[in-house]
Amino acid sequence: MDSLLGLLALPGRAFLNFLGYLGQLGVLAGELWDSLTKGRLRLRQMMEQVVVIGYGSQAVVIVTGAFTGAVFTAQSYFKFKDFGIGSTIGGVVSVSLCRELGPVLAGLMVTGRVGAAMAAEIGTLKVSEQIDALRVMGTHPVDFLVLPRLLAMLVSMPLLIAECIVFGLAAAVMVGMGAFKIPHVWFWTHVVDHTNLQDLLFGMIKGFVFGILIVVISCHQGLIATNGAVGVGQGTTRAVVFSSLALLVANFFLTFLLNYFFPLGKAL
Amino acid sequence: MTKMTADTPELPFIRVTGLRKSFGAQKTLQGVDLTIRRGETLVLIGPSGEGKSVLLKHIIGLLHPDAGKVELDGVNLCSLAERQMANIRRRMGYLFQNAALFDSLTVEQNVAFPLKEAGLRDKGEIARRVHEALDLVELAEHKDKMPIHLSGGMRKRVGIARAIIGRPECVLYDEPTSGLDPIVTDVIDLMIQRMQKRVGVTSVVITHDMGSVFKIADRVAMLKNGVISFIGSPDELRASADPEIQNFIAGRSGMTA
Repeated sequence: MDSLLGLLALPGRAFLNFLGYLGQLGVLAGELWDSLTKGRLRLRQMMEQVVVIGYGSQAVVIVTGAFTGAVFTAQSYFKFKDFGIGSTIGGVVSVSLCRELGPVLAGLMVTGRVGAAMAAEIGTLKVSEQIDALRVMGTHPVDFLVLPRLLAMLVSMPLLIAECIVFGLAAAVMVGMGAFKIPHVWFWTHVVDHTNLQDLLFGMIKGFVFGILIVVISCHQGLIATNGAVGVGQGTTRAVVFSSLALLVANFFLTFLLNYFFPLGKAL
Repeated sequence: MTKMTADTPELPFIRVTGLRKSFGAQKTLQGVDLTIRRGETLVLIGPSGEGKSVLLKHIIGLLHPDAGKVELDGVNLCSLAERQMANIRRRMGYLFQNAALFDSLTVEQNVAFPLKEAGLRDKGEIARRVHEALDLVELAEHKDKMPIHLSGGMRKRVGIARAIIGRPECVLYDEPTSGLDPIVTDVIDLMIQRMQKRVGVTSVVITHDMGSVFKIADRVAMLKNGVISFIGSPDELRASADPEIQNFIAGRSGMTA
């Protein structure tokens, strides 16, 4: 009987743990707000993080965007040509890149590259008492470590998403023209006809939200790290897994919410 | 500093009352009562793992007690939020047991950090004070090195320079001389004495070096079984009839080879 009750209690305990975890993220978000409104803006640290997050992530985001654009173009063409509309894929590819593929792929790449680094770096500072050293000198760890990363992320994400979209489209053009002999003018006409500023805004808003999620979740894992190198490793893994899942779930809800404000054009 | 008039009894600088702290099932502090007077050097001794560092971390607010309170100049530190603690902490210096230097900064940048965080912008003044602090711990020529390239003892000395550079009213030292050679140990002991005599700095020092205890202490407190089991002058410690204290002073374990 006891073991049955224990089994039944498992989902409840997991749910309570999840609520507790959300509460901790909420507290960190509150600290970030305090930091933004009451703390000191540390431009130097922020610019260093722009280099790490933005400049350092360009290669992986560009390669991901380009190859996804190329593959998406090919797959779309294989199906669309059956209906005799193979030359219209420019519109499909560009809208998909702006609204979904650009922000999601850039977000996932940044999670893997930057979220992991944030958790590992802050976690190492935590277990080696360097965060306590900051505190005894009157420096709030969130002011010094988390806020500059958040601001740098908010500056970098739109630019990375834009790069992902541009290189995805460039690759799509090359595949469309080179492999499927779609006339350049046709391809671009469909891109321009079916893509507007709202589609770009749609992706950028997603990027901002993803950026906040990545920083809060990854830095939180660093700040709660314990148990030396093993703890830092576990925190780093959790940072990537939790950030990626949060990003994908948030993307689902954001798609519906943003589509209410920026509905997809009926031409497609 | 708070000025006291002749007819008001002097408040203790730091007062610890009924402090309790457990980590899981382990009851580390079980009702610590301790007062630290302004300008004195109090040395905290006791067996390893009895919670001396935990007590020190409560005094600077790095840990929150399960029960009890820590007051500094009558202000209950346990009731303050992290941001409110900043100004209190800038009045104190803290040496970590492992020094806790920032490994991405040079020795010079580490020592300058508290000054910059306190808002000092004059680069000349910062450089002068960093040189002065590093000179005191005989490390001025190593200012451009990264912490990873220093020995354990050198790191500890950089930690001391960083703890005192802000000219704090009170410095908390967690084993300042462990791992140091006898000459440098003497330098650190003299530095603690000099700071007390010249500028009235209050010091709380955790040490296992009984030579240091008798050299620098105004009072000695022993933490055992989660409470202060002895507090008094070094002479009273020496004269104590408690066999455990005598064994501790003499370094006798009672075991045979």
